[in-house]
Amino acid sequence: MIARTGRKTVEGLEFAAAVLDLGLRAFRELFSPARRGRGEVFGVITRQILFTGVDALPVVGAIALMLGLIIIIQAGTTLPQVGAGAFLAKIIELTVVRELGPLLTAFIVIWRSGTAICTELGNMQVGQEIAALDAMGISLIRFLVMPRVAGVIVAMICLTIYFDFIAIVGGFLVAKVHLTIPIQVYLEEIEEALSAADILVTVIKSVLFGFTIAVICCHHGLSVVGATTEVPQQTTRAMLNTVTACLFLDIIVSVGFYL
Amino acid sequence: MSETVITLDHVSASERDRTLVEDISFAVYRGEAVALVGSNASGKGLVLRLCAGLEAPASGTVRVLDADPARATEEQLLALRQRVGFVFAQPALISNMTVFNNIALPLRYHTVFPETEIRERVLARLTECGVDAFRDRMPADLTLGDARQAALARAMVMDPDILCVDEVLLGLDADELVRLRKILERYRRAGRPTIVATVNAPTSLLRVMDRLVLLRDGRLVATCPPAEAPLVDDPMVQDFFESQ
Repeated sequence: MIARTGRKTVEGLEFAAAVLDLGLRAFRELFSPARRGRGEVFGVITRQILFTGVDALPVVGAIALMLGLIIIIQAGTTLPQVGAGAFLAKIIELTVVRELGPLLTAFIVIWRSGTAICTELGNMQVGQEIAALDAMGISLIRFLVMPRVAGVIVAMICLTIYFDFIAIVGGFLVAKVHLTIPIQVYLEEIEEALSAADILVTVIKSVLFGFTIAVICCHHGLSVVGATTEVPQQTTRAMLNTVTACLFLDIIVSVGFYL
Repeated sequence: MSETVITLDHVSASERDRTLVEDISFAVYRGEAVALVGSNASGKGLVLRLCAGLEAPASGTVRVLDADPARATEEQLLALRQRVGFVFAQPALISNMTVFNNIALPLRYHTVFPETEIRERVLARLTECGVDAFRDRMPADLTLGDARQAALARAMVMDPDILCVDEVLLGLDADELVRLRKILERYRRAGRPTIVATVNAPTSLLRVMDRLVLLRDGRLVATCPPAEAPLVDDPMVQDFFESQ
């Protein structure tokens, strides 16, 4: 039992060190002044933003709308009954902007893009494409990891802002059938409840989640050694580890800013 | 004697915890065409990767174009790899790029050539390797033989000092084999690079080579010109050439 716990702890630390190392190398490459492969790398970043950000707009919009609707209906009908109708905007700000917006967007990005990144890199390993890039002198960090990290971070920031907007405004418009509060008053209350710190926290969380998702999924994809059966195994591990890491980071940031 | 471009000095190497190459020493000279000949488990693939600087030896020293890949920094390795073209046993073309973009990739990554010059160089290589008709196709749409020819074009596009080809016969039919032999002959006549290839069956392609390095069970049996190889006093070598 003790030996197993010790082994798991060592494995966990080794994993964290490997992911951190990959992340730091990608981060360094992001700000490297080297001109090498700039056009090709920019192309990969653009495609990643397109896939992770633009292509995800319908699903993120639909989930944001449904979540906004649920929260606004629940809060809008329950709060007035206990004499707290004036707190509707605050509840929305607390649940959507601070927590659920970044977190649910991260989960959607993990399910869509995290799995895709891990599977793509895993299959590239199996097909010796990664070895071929290495043999051509093409830096795997610069050509494969860094563009995915940059693309996912940019997409995460945009998607989180989009999620918040749709959840707050779209959710209200749909819930309007049941509620009596005018939209003008609702938006003014939201504006009053939102602080600069809330927006800053949302952006910080988006950046951290985007970075974590891309780096962990790249790490697992590149960890495939040679068999195709390893690809789904690594993808499952990547999902589990990214969800855990995002929740852990969410707690740290929330505690850091609001406690 | 011309300049040495690859030196293996008492090299042993392993793959996935299995020692596949033991105490091998030989040198390859500039402009020479060398075939690493042996059966499927002879370790020639690993020797080829050592020659290209893609693997580090467990013991002994490897020098490729005056560099020691085992001690080189990442930047030095990247620079070395621009001077060594490598064709893997699997074509290893990037699956989400067209054949043209696959071959243009090293030029676009490493050079600042304008797109017109890149296009010119890529088309020249595609034509030379006989796969220009497939330039807009995706790798999945090619036969193994055509994909390997495209991979050869990609390895040659940077005009490397050393061209390494793993399992040179893999996926080739009789016509493609003749075409490959002509490509390599033309390539050599043009004063181009040192060629190192692995071969696992007797073939007319061996006639293009200057020297054969005969391997068995990860050990060097002999190095000799192709004409002398069948005379080497080793049962494996004699069986190999008798199967022709």
